[in-house]
Amino acid sequence: MLRAFVYVVLGWLLIALTGGMADVLSLTVMLPATSVVIVTYAAFSPHTSVHAGLAVAIGLGYLEDLHQGAPIGTLALAHGLTFLLLRWASGRFAITGFIMRAVAGLLSAVLLDAVTLAILLVLADPLGVPREALLGVTSVLHWHVLATMLVAPPLWAGVDRLLAALRLDDRPPQQAYWTGK
Amino acid sequence: MALSLRSIRNGAVIVVLLGIPVLLLRSTAQDPHRMSAFDRAVRRIGAPLEAAVSYSAGMLGAFFERWVLQARLQDTNERLSSENRELRQRMRELVHLQEENQQLRRALQMREKVHEDMIPAERVGVDQSPFFRVVNIRVDRGREYARPGMAVLSPDGVVGRIDKALDDYSDVMLITDPRSKIAVELARTKAQGILEGRTEDSCSMEVSKDYDVEVGELVQTSGVDELFPKGHPVGQVVEIEPLVGDQQRLHVVPAVRFDRIDVVWVVLANAPRPDPRGESEGPLQQARGLGPVQ
Repeated sequence: MLRAFVYVVLGWLLIALTGGMADVLSLTVMLPATSVVIVTYAAFSPHTSVHAGLAVAIGLGYLEDLHQGAPIGTLALAHGLTFLLLRWASGRFAITGFIMRAVAGLLSAVLLDAVTLAILLVLADPLGVPREALLGVTSVLHWHVLATMLVAPPLWAGVDRLLAALRLDDRPPQQAYWTGK
Repeated sequence: MALSLRSIRNGAVIVVLLGIPVLLLRSTAQDPHRMSAFDRAVRRIGAPLEAAVSYSAGMLGAFFERWVLQARLQDTNERLSSENRELRQRMRELVHLQEENQQLRRALQMREKVHEDMIPAERVGVDQSPFFRVVNIRVDRGREYARPGMAVLSPDGVVGRIDKALDDYSDVMLITDPRSKIAVELARTKAQGILEGRTEDSCSMEVSKDYDVEVGELVQTSGVDELFPKGHPVGQVVEIEPLVGDQQRLHVVPAVRFDRIDVVWVVLANAPRPDPRGESEGPLQQARGLGPVQ
């Protein structure tokens, strides 16, 4: 429970920090999806249950909805579905090392964007969103994905370090955050 | 395929959890004029949350912006400080140049007023007393131009005379030097006397008590010694000391601040004597070789 709370608070702070940075540095498209990295971390963490992880994903998605001004529920649902897919993948793949974390961040961002786009395309009419505009956004999504890939390894290590500091990480020392495992 | 109770429970929880965003989406997609009580409740709950998220994002953004701005301001501050140092240095140089310019202008004005043949010389060194007072100065004119005994003037008044003329420079004996003796007169009463150097910043002269001398009276060269041109300020009477007999001693402070001299004039030749017939100018009388008043 505490771990889920840490995920949400950290995600919230990162959302705000990214927004602030984007505002100061005038960044528009090359912004990392920090929430999806945390969702990926939670999905691949053996210490996080499916229910808790899903709640965290939906909560972070809801915060993203509020922050980005998206139709409320869109990113919440997208994050939830992405978490379930990543959780399914976590039973078949393991993420070790910085490169794998970067790849995981990249694939998670692609997955989230695809799910979000699918939801918006399906609900374009009731939400009053033009489909042409949605398809036009896809041309700049690679920047978003690239930024997420770059941010994923350090953020992953940071979450590791935070959980260890809060004594929420019961991995043996040889697998602690500084080993990259 | 048998489903365990746990699997059913897990599935139900997942459906419930996923149902929340679906309901939120449904509420969002609703026409605002046809919202149900549930939709209104969702919006009512979401509004303060949205405000909190926006506020926290704004706070963190402002903090980050301030941090970045502080770094930028620090860079700007360092750049401006460096620029300020350079400008201050430049300003000091300009002030120095301005002073030098004023001195040169005064020196030129003096050159136009004085009829004697003179040559400018720059001060290149000073000898100081243990009390850091200038007792001797050195000018950049050697024996090619200067001879011992030649008068040295500045725009403020009499400086002294050439003491030693060497190859590249000459030493100037100041009027405050105890060896110095020059013919002077009081500007108001015309009482004449010999001004002798006493200490590092004062001279003295003796005149008859018949003259009504006042403190502050100007002392100038009389030209009697044919060494210093007539009428140049020498100093000011600061004290009158009665002596036994019919004499009184006047203590005189030089008109020239020797520590502030940069450019002086060495008198090479006295001005030509006026021609009584007014037809032609007489030849310059060389000042070289003239000895000081003994």
